[in-house]
Amino acid sequence: MSDNSANLMPTEQIGATGDKHYVPAPCQIACPVGTDAPSYIGYIWNGQFDEAFEAITATNPFSSICGRVCDAPCEPACRREASDGALQIRNLKRFVMEKLGATWKPEAAPVTRQQSIGIVGAGPAGLVAAHDLAVAGFKVDVYEMTDRPGGMMIWGIPAFRLPVGTIEEDMNRLMARCPGLTIHTNTGLGRDVSLEELKERHDAVVLTIGSWWGKKMGIPGEADSRVVDGVEFLRRINSGERPQMPKEVVVIGGGDVAMDACRAALRLPGCEHVKVVYRRGPDEIPARKIELQGAVEEGIEFVYNTQQVEVIADGDDNLKLRCVQTGMGEPDADGRRRPEPIAGSEHDIDCGMVIAAVGQFGDCDDASTKALMGSDRVNTEWDNMRTGDPKVFAAGDGAFGGSTIVMAMSHGQRVAYYVRSFLDGDEAPVTYRTPWRTRRVPVAQDLNWEINALHHPEFHGVGENPVEFPEIESTYTWEEARDEAARCYRCDAETGSADYSVQNREDIFLMARMDKTDVARQAKMLAKRMRHRENPFPEDRPATVDDLVFLPANLSRLVIDPYREACRVSTDLGFGRMEIEQPFFATGFDNAPASVKDGVAIGLKGSSGGYIGVQPLNDDTPWLQLVLPGQIAPSAEAAGQIHVVGPRFEAPQNVTRLHENQLLGISVSHHEALEDAIVFGLENKFDVLLVNGSSAVGRDWPELAGPPDLSMMRETITILRRLNMEEEIDILWFGGMRSGTDAAKIIGMGAKSVVMGMTLALAAGGEIVGDHELAFAPDYSEEERGHAVHNILKAASGEASMMARCTGKTNLHNLEPEDMRALTLATNEATGLVLAGKH
Amino acid sequence: MVTIDLNDLEIREANERIREAAAQGESIEVLNPDARHHIGVGVIHPVDIHVRGSAGYFLAGLTDTPRFHVESNVGWGVADNMYQGSVVVGGNAGAIAGVAIRGADLVIKGNMGSRAGQVMKKGTLLCCGNANFMAGYMMYGGRMIILGESGERLGEDMSGGEIFLGGNLTSLGSDAEVTDIDSAEVDEIREFLDRYEIPFKGSFQKVVNAGKKLRYSTSERQMRSIPYFNFSGDSDYWNRKIQEDVYIKSQIGRYRVRGYGGARELPHLSDIAFRKDISMAAIGDDPVGDVEMRTKIGGKNGANPLDLTMPVLIAPMSYGALSRSAKQAIAIASGMAGIAENTGEGGMSDAQRDAAGQLIFQMLGGRLGWNIHDMNRADGLEIYISQGAKPGFGGQLMAKKVTKELADIRGIPAGIDLRSPSRHPDILGADDLVIKIEELREATGYRLPVSVKLGAGRIHDDIKIAVKDGFDFVELDGMQGSTGAGGAEVMEYVGIPTLAAICEAETALASIGRRDDLEIVLMGGIRDGIEAVKGLCLGADAIALGTAAIIAGGCIACMQCHVGQCVTGIATQDPEHEKRYKSKVEAQHIYTFLESVRWQIAAITKALGHSNVTGLSRDDLVALTPEAAEITGLPYEPERRNADVFQEAG
Repeated sequence: MSDNSANLMPTEQIGATGDKHYVPAPCQIACPVGTDAPSYIGYIWNGQFDEAFEAITATNPFSSICGRVCDAPCEPACRREASDGALQIRNLKRFVMEKLGATWKPEAAPVTRQQSIGIVGAGPAGLVAAHDLAVAGFKVDVYEMTDRPGGMMIWGIPAFRLPVGTIEEDMNRLMARCPGLTIHTNTGLGRDVSLEELKERHDAVVLTIGSWWGKKMGIPGEADSRVVDGVEFLRRINSGERPQMPKEVVVIGGGDVAMDACRAALRLPGCEHVKVVYRRGPDEIPARKIELQGAVEEGIEFVYNTQQVEVIADGDDNLKLRCVQTGMGEPDADGRRRPEPIAGSEHDIDCGMVIAAVGQFGDCDDASTKALMGSDRVNTEWDNMRTGDPKVFAAGDGAFGGSTIVMAMSHGQRVAYYVRSFLDGDEAPVTYRTPWRTRRVPVAQDLNWEINALHHPEFHGVGENPVEFPEIESTYTWEEARDEAARCYRCDAETGSADYSVQNREDIFLMARMDKTDVARQAKMLAKRMRHRENPFPEDRPATVDDLVFLPANLSRLVIDPYREACRVSTDLGFGRMEIEQPFFATGFDNAPASVKDGVAIGLKGSSGGYIGVQPLNDDTPWLQLVLPGQIAPSAEAAGQIHVVGPRFEAPQNVTRLHENQLLGISVSHHEALEDAIVFGLENKFDVLLVNGSSAVGRDWPELAGPPDLSMMRETITILRRLNMEEEIDILWFGGMRSGTDAAKIIGMGAKSVVMGMTLALAAGGEIVGDHELAFAPDYSEEERGHAVHNILKAASGEASMMARCTGKTNLHNLEPEDMRALTLATNEATGLVLAGKH
Repeated sequence: MVTIDLNDLEIREANERIREAAAQGESIEVLNPDARHHIGVGVIHPVDIHVRGSAGYFLAGLTDTPRFHVESNVGWGVADNMYQGSVVVGGNAGAIAGVAIRGADLVIKGNMGSRAGQVMKKGTLLCCGNANFMAGYMMYGGRMIILGESGERLGEDMSGGEIFLGGNLTSLGSDAEVTDIDSAEVDEIREFLDRYEIPFKGSFQKVVNAGKKLRYSTSERQMRSIPYFNFSGDSDYWNRKIQEDVYIKSQIGRYRVRGYGGARELPHLSDIAFRKDISMAAIGDDPVGDVEMRTKIGGKNGANPLDLTMPVLIAPMSYGALSRSAKQAIAIASGMAGIAENTGEGGMSDAQRDAAGQLIFQMLGGRLGWNIHDMNRADGLEIYISQGAKPGFGGQLMAKKVTKELADIRGIPAGIDLRSPSRHPDILGADDLVIKIEELREATGYRLPVSVKLGAGRIHDDIKIAVKDGFDFVELDGMQGSTGAGGAEVMEYVGIPTLAAICEAETALASIGRRDDLEIVLMGGIRDGIEAVKGLCLGADAIALGTAAIIAGGCIACMQCHVGQCVTGIATQDPEHEKRYKSKVEAQHIYTFLESVRWQIAAITKALGHSNVTGLSRDDLVALTPEAAEITGLPYEPERRNADVFQEAG
């Protein structure tokens, strides 16, 4: 069996997830059933166990079992493996399943289809196929020759790894989910029912007969009754037998059956010592690392590079296993180096029992089924899971040879897909692909994610009373699970770099692992890399301050003396009527709760120009009064009066300064009124022109409606230039100022100072809710709000100064349009600033 | 005694003779120095050198162990970067006397100019007269003794070292303070004065760093990046990223710092397509064998050029931002691929030197790790002016990364939030730069190419200065370049994109008829051989890979380089984290990546109909977006977006 898609990582699945950048993580790709591990790990960290449970079980009806005994191909694929050790993905799954697996009530999937399917064998492949087909609405009957469902999951795995009861959890959920599923136990194919009968009863038949029988070693003496095969031995143990064992037991083989057999033997009465004889070295042994480690810790001895050649009876109590040592020869067809016997290295190992775990094969008594089989399995086409009989499909170990539980489960999914296509009359379905889905879980904000060391759950070994097969390890505590979950790199998640998106990184990762002489792979990658990104600046993208950049001082701007002057940001308005330390005003809090107003007032103290509003913020804060036509009259208390004009300019009436230093200003929000307002302001010797570029006027927090209209600024400057009056009135800009960088850009375009609303509101505990509304979180003190407002202004001031300094300026107000470039044509058009790369 | 008469010799020849004589252990006498620049630079032997008169700029610069005796005055930068040895100046010294010294004794019997001892790290600078303003500016270590007046702003932004003042304190600099002096220190000063026979009986005040600006007062709350790079335009203007920024800044009161490159989409090489269809038939089985890619860079003015097996370099990245192991892996890979590696800011390690076939040694304003011995074993020298990620700013290395070992290599105190100067002490303008380049060439016998690293800004003007100042090549870094730590706003909003940078550079050089006089290495967000070819077509002579190379070597782009506890062991100095990094394994990965880049460059070059990468030109390209067309002047052919797709099946 091979899957050519493993050659190169899948491309992004546009549409499948709604997230164009989604590329499945390596762990998810490695999982034969496509488990969305990164999402459930993210959920675990966040304590969202129900959601984690959903992510775990979505493609895996045997999640409780897999939480304990899955061979977890996800873990070697984990990118953290190369650093300080892979995430313990299986153990995290177990943690969730132990929390919720026994009590979860799944939603039943009703029978909606007329057709039925017969499945032979209730192992992982058969039951997953049954699950998927039943969920799709078919009626499904599963025929199982033993007295209980589970196949190798229950007959092959001893209770110290998989406690009795775990399978029930999964089966209970499976049966509750699938009311159309019936399992007929004690019903063997060829014994109690025939394939011909099943073909008559059902619209399709799936053979998942497993690989149930142990292979012979093919050496003299193995007929001795003290030589047993591994799977048979495990079946006896798992049916409840606890046979008396000899002191010395030898297990032959290096796979999972060998590991379970040796560890089971060690726990049985009479057994004192177990050796595992394996013909290759410790680097080649196929057993999963964690099983191997467990066996070693329990005291099993491993004899590597040793091959059995004969079993010799040595009286009633003893066997001699004659062996030779092996060296490693040339690679086999499977790429592994072939063990070669070393001449003259014969030696004997004494023992009382030999357990041979050298492979399995499938078999069946039914004649029609026999006809579909090769020597040890059902002949099956991988491309459509079909057998020689058009109505009969096959999957699992009985079709493709011994593998793992999760691989067998993936076969179940695959065969269910092709059976469904067949029953839908689709003769040429799209090739099956493991489903990849992401739940787009936020990355764990755990400060220790880089530090937390790999943590295994507590390992108990054989326990105090080994013959009872107590479980070898515990699951995590919540704290341990959280610490482990925090370690996840979250290879599925974008990190906020456009140039190095997951897709681009994965391509580079693969380029770093491709044979330079493999022209086909190089060509495939070239094809992938040649695809163009979508235009990030489509025509409907509006002009925005984000698409402006500053030009840094380098060789051509070294003339200033950087050692003598810092960059100043202080600002004066109205020909010296008002001097402020930072070029910022606040606005928008007229209707805010009193505690927010007080907090903002604390934050504004001393540094900024004050507050612009219809009402004052409080008694202390300098107030530029917004005077709406026909409403409240100008106040002598205000530091300034700013007369608001609407879309159709109407000249403010009887404007007079109420004290000598009171600023006079005019506020305009519409292009139509701009020129008249400017002319009026100039004629009446106004000090400031407040240009409101926010896209919505007349509502609370108008900035929330969207980006500001930058062309208001351009037009203002154009008019002033035309009148040759650029220096005669100070421009205040309102709209979309989120940082000191934004402020520096607008100041560079000609404003003297900026007015901030939303940014200060967010700092003061505001949260954006619903449809562009703002609500203030109540749980902040006035001082905390004040501190935050003070800080955001200080940060903005620092940023603005930094931008000016990097262009070679020692005063923020020396910034000019020539210090900037536009990145898009739309922004170039709206602002008049030159496109980057042009000059 | 060997006598060198500058009436008879040009300085280049004189310096060669001085170095030869010094190597023989001969004392040297320089007659008629005539205030020439660069006298005695690059001497690394402990001999006496008598200068009979006045010297110009950089006397005794870039030296180790010689003993200079100058009868009269010296110009600026005396004893620049001198390790051991001594300089005694009979008269006055110009500005930045003792700049970046690393152990030498510098004795000035008269007065000294401004910014004396700037970025000095070790050794003693004695001024018997008065200092001018900002003595001890940004000094990292060592001892300064001023017997006369301090001048204004003494010890401005010093982060280490001690200043002992015998005369009046005019004013203290930012973050400097007067502290107690103990008698042992006074004894040591007296011993030093006695050694140089300086009579002084007065008392001293001691000035040190006040420690108020070495570390940020409130630390920024660390967060893993949120996957949000759409910014405004096609998404909410007040998006989650903006809200997070406002929240964090409202706690710390300053700009945010982070690692990695810019977050957002910019006009880029991906918006350019090839004019011809790329087909497997045109590529053939062995494009690498069919296309000449060997590229020599840096030989325009007579130096030994870098000899590259393809037009690719490793972009400058420092040991400091990156771990020693990561730098080693990159060096190994570059050597295997036959291309050049670059030290970046942090100095050169033996492991890196040994592993890299060709290594460019970079000099920054802080002169961290800069020294004559590593210059002599480099294959190229580079003056850092700025970088794409944060042009106009100096480097930032957060305290967590400033370990003792790293501090030793750089010659600075451990455990400070290191903010390297944004400007060179001795380069305030293009004319200074000419003299500085000459100093480097004089000190190394004109063997090595001297390049400039330039972040993209006013490239149209900058590149003209670069060529006029006589650089051999420029490493031109667009704003998509990454960094270990920098202001987040700077990374996003300062500089111009790589695509714009190369186009401006080409136009500017062509406009003064000097295109052939300066080679351009383009960098900043180049990720593969396809983009490399586009860069070459647009005029670059070679391209450099930085971030892409470290991603090939295990980086996961979490954008947390500034935190200093890199999970993969790349961007960290924490030994527990660094040991996670398997240099040899990752070197192989980086090498394999470079080979894939090579294959891609060859394949496309061949498919475009060229047998040599030098045949690539603008005629091979079209633009896919209006912005790209406007920036590059290439024909706007949006329909090529779908046509410019390579079917690997042929």
